[in-house]
Amino acid sequence: MTTAIATSGLVKTFGPTRALDRLDLTVESGEVHGFLGPNGAGKSTTIRVLLGLLRADSGLVKVLGGDPWHGAVALHRRLAYVPGDVELWPNLTGGEAIDLLGRLRGGLNQARRAELIERFDLDPTKKGRTYSKGNRQKVAIVAALASDVELLVLDEPTAGLDPLMEVVFQDVINQMKAEGRTVLLSSHILAQVEKLADKVSIIRLGKIVQSGTLTEMRHLTRTTIEADTSKPVAGLERIPGIHDLETTDGRVRFAVDGDSLDDAVRALSQFEIRSLTSHPPTLEELMLRHYGDELIAAGNVGNSNGEKPGNGNREER
Amino acid sequence: MTATAVQESTRAPADHAPGNVLAGTGTLIRFILRRDRIKLPAWLLGMAVLLSFFVPAVSELTETEEQRQDLRRIMEPAVGAIFGPGYGRDDITPERYIAGVYGLFFFVLAALMSMLLVARHTRVEEQNGRAELTRSNVVGRHAQLTAVLIVAVGANALLALMLGGTMTANDLDGSGGLLFGASVGAVGLVFAGITALTVQVTEYSRAATGIAGAALGAAWAVRAAGDMVRDYGSPLSWFSPLAWSNQTRPYVDGRWWPLLLSVGLAVAAAAVGYALSARRDVGAGLVAARPGEAVAAPWLRSPLAVAFRLQRASLIWWTVALAVFGFMFGGLGDQIADPKDMSQDRIEMFGGSVDTLLDGYLGVITLFTAAYTGIMVVLGVQAVRSEETKGRAEPVLATATSRWAWFGSYLAVISLGLVGLLLVAGFATGTGAAVSAGDGSHVWDVTAAHLAHAPGVLVLLGIAALLFGVLPRTIGATWVVLGYSLFVGLFGTITDLPQWAHNLSPMEHIGQPPLDSISWSAAMILLVVAAGLMAAGLAWFRRRDLETK
Repeated sequence: MTTAIATSGLVKTFGPTRALDRLDLTVESGEVHGFLGPNGAGKSTTIRVLLGLLRADSGLVKVLGGDPWHGAVALHRRLAYVPGDVELWPNLTGGEAIDLLGRLRGGLNQARRAELIERFDLDPTKKGRTYSKGNRQKVAIVAALASDVELLVLDEPTAGLDPLMEVVFQDVINQMKAEGRTVLLSSHILAQVEKLADKVSIIRLGKIVQSGTLTEMRHLTRTTIEADTSKPVAGLERIPGIHDLETTDGRVRFAVDGDSLDDAVRALSQFEIRSLTSHPPTLEELMLRHYGDELIAAGNVGNSNGEKPGNGNREER
Repeated sequence: MTATAVQESTRAPADHAPGNVLAGTGTLIRFILRRDRIKLPAWLLGMAVLLSFFVPAVSELTETEEQRQDLRRIMEPAVGAIFGPGYGRDDITPERYIAGVYGLFFFVLAALMSMLLVARHTRVEEQNGRAELTRSNVVGRHAQLTAVLIVAVGANALLALMLGGTMTANDLDGSGGLLFGASVGAVGLVFAGITALTVQVTEYSRAATGIAGAALGAAWAVRAAGDMVRDYGSPLSWFSPLAWSNQTRPYVDGRWWPLLLSVGLAVAAAAVGYALSARRDVGAGLVAARPGEAVAAPWLRSPLAVAFRLQRASLIWWTVALAVFGFMFGGLGDQIADPKDMSQDRIEMFGGSVDTLLDGYLGVITLFTAAYTGIMVVLGVQAVRSEETKGRAEPVLATATSRWAWFGSYLAVISLGLVGLLLVAGFATGTGAAVSAGDGSHVWDVTAAHLAHAPGVLVLLGIAALLFGVLPRTIGATWVVLGYSLFVGLFGTITDLPQWAHNLSPMEHIGQPPLDSISWSAAMILLVVAAGLMAAGLAWFRRRDLETK
């Protein structure tokens, strides 16, 4: 497997702000790579460096084997980009914008253009200024996905799309994946990345803090276990890696680190399990573990999932 | 207060009396005034300040009999018809000149103020979806339109008082000043009414203000044509709302009754607006937006084609406007350059010799056209800049389009566009001059003179391109260079500027054709300088980060 995108030690500053702080990102060819992070973490800046629109202060960048700053044009023939905030020309129609961007890239697949317009339910005869945000986004998506390119760089592509269109989008991306294209998909909509991505990198404050397959990432975090047992549970608190233990007559509930899952279930089985449920960590929880401190500072920790990730965080520190 | 205290209802009663279509008007008026607390005073004060600059300036220009002769020329038929019917030209005083000639500027400004005000608080609100928010409250169907029209009436009334006050403050007759102010305010009122109508028709505010603007242009054309047909206005003139404001004859034998026509038209137009607004949905227009092409034209496939497509409308309009302007002023050449009773200052401006006044005059017109071309050029580069800052350049530069090709295409389109514009405008001006003077040689002379200014304007483009590459936020500095060039060109000889000060202007080096012969060596040097500046701008742009949203 070859590497489609590789950066190491990437630094980009804007005046006093250090937008990218020694960023290392690797995307293998043929994978859908989720690029997750909250607003302002540096996702768009990274993408613009990868496209050669911004010049890195230091560090190495290779996209499809070339340097994006110096070889931008040759590189851009092989990739397509959907910006996070799509702006169209007020007096060009959506169809004209799609053709324009496609032709400047080196050609469009006409059949796919027609298919995508149909599937996304886009009216290509409307002038740019009359499109809603979601429809502008569709124009950019169609323009990018109708090109026969190796790499798709999508910066929060479904912001503004309705749920139906999001399903269409997921379907199309899976089709792209089946055709062997590489996709870099930035998002803060976790559910979407979860459905599409083979691998995920989490960026925070200009640094990649986690990278790997979702399975690998889940090992890094805690699974929640709830069980009914015949015998009263005792002694679980002695197992390292068990947190937030709650016992109420015959019912036990705790979170356990990925590494200790086996020990915990083994220990639990001694008490004659009657029922057992386990929740794998969602990406919300992954994110909360990485950004929990900021969220606590902002007073934003909710118990929406019945979890107490904030507590977990505090214990760690 | 106890927990059981009954809260007094603040909701409006849900009655169905006819009055409730206006519910909330008072709140909306306060809301409009709050939102426009800077804009509206700026417009009003700006106009009053402008007038207070004109009064002493015109007073200085009317001191001697010779100077008054110069001004009379501007108020006489043909030339005069551009500005107004020319009442009071037989005995020119500063106030008569201001009302008769500068009045047009104030009419246009008042009309623009009112058009933008009404559109801003009606169609723009609907277009952005804010009207939905407002209308979902206890706000009657006609409240928004009524509120903004009340504000427009108030603003124009205040404008009338402020302009009258400015005239009075300069020791000019107060009642005449008030009549002049009211004439200006009446134009504002008429166009507030017309805009109240046009915003109902189209879905987009730009189209609505565009139609109202076209109505203003048509009103001017009808009045000018009417006034050209007969001295002091013909029946045709009276079809234009601008004529009514001229026909009040401030400072001559002032009369108020023509303004009744203005008020009548304003009320009628607004009434039609109300009627139309009741027949449509919020956000919709009476005319649906026209769909465009679903597929881009086959030629739209290169960065050059894209740059041309995006600048095309601006290039065409500027070229048409300057060709018309040139033909008109070229055609008036014979009359304006008539040496009879001309003041020494003006002879100086037209080249200093009585024998070559027409060439001198045509040179001044050429310089004006070149300066206007410069405005188009700077606006063109600023449009490129907003492609970048609005985020439209980003997806294009993420295709196989290099920075060189992208920005270079714009520079090429603007360069070719400005040369084409000078060619067409020069030909039109020359044709006008040839017709009026009965001498065909002007066609070629004036066309060549216009083209000779191309290298200077290209240098201006080069300066803007360099700033775009190096410090894009400072592109506006090009305006200073342009303003300076125009100042030196027009007043350099009169104000005895030193030679180095002349040399700083890119427009000075080729001479002032058709009066002077064209300095081809200077033209070559300017071309090289322009090319160097553009190349430097391109190189810097290639090296800098793209600015993104």
